[in-house]
Amino acid sequence: MSWHVDPAVMERYARQEVGPADAASIEAHLVDCGACRARLHVDPARLDRLWAGVADVVDEPSRNPVEALLRQLGVRDRTARLVAATPALHMPWLVAMAVTVALAVVAATAGDRGFLFFLVLAPVLPIAGVAAAYGPRVDPMYELTVAAPMPAFELLLLRSTAVLTSTVLLVGVAAIPLAGEGWLMAAWLLPALGLTMATLALSTVMSPIHAGVGLASTWAAVAFLNVRGLAGGDATGDLASRVLAFSPAGQALFLTIAVIGTFVVIQRRETLEIRSNT
Amino acid sequence: MTTVELAGIEKSFGSTRALDGVDLEVSPGITGLLGRNGAGKTTLLRLVATVLAPDGGRLRVLGHDPGDPDGRLAVRRRLGYFPQEPGYHQNFTAFDFVDYVAILKEMTDRNTRRDEVRRALETVGLTDVMHKKMRKLSGGMRRRVILAQALLGDPALLVLDEPTAGLDPEQRLRFREIVSAIAERHTVLLATHQTEDVAALCDRVAVVDNGSVLFDGPAPALAERASGRVWLSGGPDDGARLSWRTGDGRQRHIGDPPGGADLAEPTIEDGYLLLVGDRALVG
Repeated sequence: MSWHVDPAVMERYARQEVGPADAASIEAHLVDCGACRARLHVDPARLDRLWAGVADVVDEPSRNPVEALLRQLGVRDRTARLVAATPALHMPWLVAMAVTVALAVVAATAGDRGFLFFLVLAPVLPIAGVAAAYGPRVDPMYELTVAAPMPAFELLLLRSTAVLTSTVLLVGVAAIPLAGEGWLMAAWLLPALGLTMATLALSTVMSPIHAGVGLASTWAAVAFLNVRGLAGGDATGDLASRVLAFSPAGQALFLTIAVIGTFVVIQRRETLEIRSNT
Repeated sequence: MTTVELAGIEKSFGSTRALDGVDLEVSPGITGLLGRNGAGKTTLLRLVATVLAPDGGRLRVLGHDPGDPDGRLAVRRRLGYFPQEPGYHQNFTAFDFVDYVAILKEMTDRNTRRDEVRRALETVGLTDVMHKKMRKLSGGMRRRVILAQALLGDPALLVLDEPTAGLDPEQRLRFREIVSAIAERHTVLLATHQTEDVAALCDRVAVVDNGSVLFDGPAPALAERASGRVWLSGGPDDGARLSWRTGDGRQRHIGDPPGGADLAEPTIEDGYLLLVGDRALVG
């Protein structure tokens, strides 16, 4: 090495008092010059901070799109990570959900029965999502989750809220072309909320997946039996307005179910913390 | 000092009785649960890990009753658990996996949590591969990652269910080194169906079969039970309960030896086979 960094310049470099161009030049020289490296005295505390910063960037956990979006929205890193691990928020599930909703909306624009099909299908989607959000059959890390100090109830609630929100947003946005049907286009919301809370309530006595399948099947069967005896109307929405679930009384019933379901989940949350069977 | 205490513990799944009045005490050091597949080891460990509730009996872990919510939380805060078939999310790296469990273990401060994750991965010797996807790691490395999550927070009790299953001899040796180092400070409860693990690692051993504890004592005492009941001969022997051909071409027998038999030094495996008998063959 034919030259060495001037001691005064080196002092200023160590105190971070040189400009970026000079710093880059000195660093390029330091890489190859052991003598100058030996003369460089850096505050050990500062060095530790720098290394910690480098390690933090290198060890930044990989983020899937859901986690990245949640972080953008200001959600705390640990909450975003727990939510993003929800099976019902993984990309294949979301894509399947979007395709289903799109097909249902296309059917809804085709006529009276298609619109009814959309209203009956829409509440099933959050039930399916919540059923696939947490539990021994859907979460590969369930066993570790149960043995950890974080309450299972808190995780279930976090994930269910995320799934319900994402599904409602998805269906809500997709249903914009149906805005001409007035309030009836939103008649699926209270059944969705009521059935989701009922799924969570039943999850305190059986696995969420069994609860979801049972409730979705019951909902579809009751809707089918109700519609079977009704004749189609002339305009879109005629048939739906005569289905019990979408009448004012039906809406009140699902609101009541949602309230009771919430109460049951809170009362029985302890059953989620330790299993009595397999 | 007793870390885990089970008294008259019962557990059934439908009509299957998995544990039938189990009495066991576990102290600091390494205690091995030895038994064939389906003997009840995993059920016992899941009870201790507070995943399952017993149907009957008395269970105390680290001085707490896991049936009580406060007691259970206290146990979980000092527990490291390695389940028998641990899964992972497909997109997780080794670091992600351990970090995720650290979040579940209430490590809220990001920097402290990441330091702890790095420490745990360093303990199992996986610093170099911590940013590799779990699915791309070898089976042995994956099991070490799973051990790393169990070590988070320096737990007072480690519950390990078949941690060496599927490992090659070198990986098994590495695993034993790690676990024995941990056991110098903490209690390790380890289920295995490999007598080599017990011989290499355990201070105490409990033999579990059909939901009951058949033996509970120091590991050498299990071998001692077969003293005078193991012999070698050139061919089959009617008095043997179990026999097999050894590497030198002779037959090793366990049972009631004939007079003048060439008695062999018993091993832990001999003691275990003598206890479990023919049932060991169907495990």
